[in-house]
Amino acid sequence: MQPSPLANPLATVAQLETSSSQLDGVPQDLENSIRFAGAQITQAAGILLRLPQEVIAQAVIVFVRFWIGSEGGSLAEFGCEQVSAASLYLTTKLSAYPKSPRNIINVYAYISTLTSLHPPTDPPGPDTYYVSEGTYQTRRATLFATEQRILQTLGFNVHVSLPYTLCITYLQALDVFSHPRAPELAKRAVAYLNTALLSPQLLYLTHQPSSIATAAIYLAAKETGIKMPDVEWWEVFDTGREELGFLVVGLLSVESFAEEERAKWEGRTVPISVEELEAEMRRRDGGE
Amino acid sequence: MASRWADDDVDKAEDLRRKKEKEEKKRLKFQRQQAEQAAAAREREMESRPAKRRRFSDNAASQEVIPKEPPAERTLLCFEGGGWGPCRHVSNFETLNNIEEGSYGWVSRAREISTGSVVALKKIKMDYQRQDGFPITALREITILQRARHKNIVSLHEVLSGSDPSEVVLVMEFLEHDLKTLQEDMPEPFLASEIKTLLKQLTSALSFLHSNHILHRDLKTSNILLSNHGHLKIADFGMARYIPPPNARLTQLVVTLWYRAPELLLGTDQYSTEIDMWSLGCIFGELLLKEPILQGKNEVDELSRIFALCGLPTDRNWPGFWRLPNAKGLKIPRDSGAKSGGVIRTKFPFLTNVGADLLMSLLSPNPEHRPTADEVLDHMYFREQPKPKPMEMFPTFPSKAGQEKRRTRSPNAPKRGQAPGMQNVDFSGIFANREEEQAGAGFQLRVA
Ligand SMILES: Nc1ncnc2c1ncn2[C@@H]1O[C@H](COP(=O)(O)OP(=O)(O)O)[C@@H](O)[C@H]1O
Ligand SMILES: [Mg+2]
Repeated sequence: MQPSPLANPLATVAQLETSSSQLDGVPQDLENSIRFAGAQITQAAGILLRLPQEVIAQAVIVFVRFWIGSEGGSLAEFGCEQVSAASLYLTTKLSAYPKSPRNIINVYAYISTLTSLHPPTDPPGPDTYYVSEGTYQTRRATLFATEQRILQTLGFNVHVSLPYTLCITYLQALDVFSHPRAPELAKRAVAYLNTALLSPQLLYLTHQPSSIATAAIYLAAKETGIKMPDVEWWEVFDTGREELGFLVVGLLSVESFAEEERAKWEGRTVPISVEELEAEMRRRDGGE
Repeated sequence: MASRWADDDVDKAEDLRRKKEKEEKKRLKFQRQQAEQAAAAREREMESRPAKRRRFSDNAASQEVIPKEPPAERTLLCFEGGGWGPCRHVSNFETLNNIEEGSYGWVSRAREISTGSVVALKKIKMDYQRQDGFPITALREITILQRARHKNIVSLHEVLSGSDPSEVVLVMEFLEHDLKTLQEDMPEPFLASEIKTLLKQLTSALSFLHSNHILHRDLKTSNILLSNHGHLKIADFGMARYIPPPNARLTQLVVTLWYRAPELLLGTDQYSTEIDMWSLGCIFGELLLKEPILQGKNEVDELSRIFALCGLPTDRNWPGFWRLPNAKGLKIPRDSGAKSGGVIRTKFPFLTNVGADLLMSLLSPNPEHRPTADEVLDHMYFREQPKPKPMEMFPTFPSKAGQEKRRTRSPNAPKRGQAPGMQNVDFSGIFANREEEQAGAGFQLRVA
């Protein structure tokens, strides 16, 4: 059987069992925290770069793929911020919205000055995140080297199929757009697709876009109280009941995970560079 | 069967390939059985837990224990989209012989040391841009080929890396011939029934690409491979890209000159699948004549050959013509009417009326008049006599790729850089000689 052009490559069970970072002694909870922070940074940078959500989502998925499995990238070797930047750079290059290294580097410099990842609606002028020519040269070299490593680590599997368009198509197929609250339904469903990007269960690496779209619609319909057909409609979209259940639980659990993370890192920042990670590990060894 | 002319190596390679194919089929069958068993087991499990759905939907948010390990069904899905792992090193392969040095890299026949299977390796030339990191052209070639899985598109097995990080090598299935080299060595053109089989395979690949929003942008006979079993596959995605959103500007510097559509020569930066359909027309004609049909020496010469063969653009057949960037510099006889029509019918005397109709539509200078790949597949041409020859009946030919280095003589795809403009070019004269040639046909050109 030939792989379908609409299907994504998925992580194998072995890749989900262990990671290069864990083999290097990074505790799994810390790894989860850093990956979560990295996905959020990527999302924030994408918004600042005015990229469409589809492009940002691809970058997040490339970012997450990079860390998986014993042959993946290790946090002991690559800072998550650097991999986030390179994922975004690489993804935009393949998209209709390429961004220059200068754009990327400036935006990440700006993000590093923020205390929260919800960018202000009115971002400050460019001089607040100006980087000197020397710093720019070094960061660009790092950006290119990291890009190269992402490509090698993923065996060039950087293309991602996304559920966004599918989701709308499915809603059309389900004939819900005549409903007065259909826009709300669609909005919530898309919000769930974005939530899935941050899932510690790596939903995008373990499920096909069709199933993620189906689960997002299922939840959104429940929440908006819009009635879906009485039959097992999800099967039409290649999703079994078992998988739907797994995804629904996975999607709903992201919020509490995010809550826990916020509480856990209250007043501190998640280590997003190799140096910060080392400091955090020393702190844990000594303190806890 | 390997051809009786091919050398031992090719025979052996062929045997190994077959053996591997068989093993692969066995493996796939086993996997499918396993998947089916897993599915059956899941069914049983589901039946024993009928309340599942209610539990999810009603108190769904409940902090249910989430399984850390994904359930077994995941293996079933893995299978559809493949997986990923790091690039292997090139030293896993040994080169048997070089095939050709092209414009963007070089290709060799090689053997995987651990399995003995024969493959084609394409080393991608990396004009490493210090400004842009990993070259976008190489990235596109790889990512598009990875996604373009179709029986008439060369399959990419994996990407290797060398000791130098900028060394990138594609591992592809090996095919014995490319259509250009093969035709140069054939004493006679392909038979009509064979051309149909080739064109049909080529068009199905194009239909697949276009419906997946991919433009090839460098279709020509040297980029089309043919196995010894008559199986055709498109290769060389070095120029390919996804169709961008409407109104995005694209480079006109695509497609090798002899296969380049007139709108590209005229400097358009908004084009789509029609440019591949033009190339398809050129290839169709080339298969019929056993040589490229529009061998222009430069852009202007190419354009005048196109007009001479296919007819001059008029306000009626191509209203948008004068809006194209390079059209302003041209002097073209206006209102020359039917008399400046093309000569496709006379140039391809052995083609049936139906065949000529297809060729003429593909070679419509106005891109809007060209058929889509799907329309071509539906064309009467494939249904009228002679019927396409079954692939099993295809003749085999000695393979050059199996032994010696090929030479390239035709022009290559254009490089990035300055696109030529066209200034003050007068096309009034392109029919000058034709008056004599065609005198018998009552042809007369009114020069503007
Ligand atoms: N998979 C293959 N099997 C056999 N020969 C191949 C294969 N791929 C390419 N070739 C040969 O190598 C030549 C150059 O390959 P191509 O991919 O077109 O590279 P370039 O981008 O340099 O033109 C082709 O014209 C063909 O003769
Ligand atoms: Mg080529």
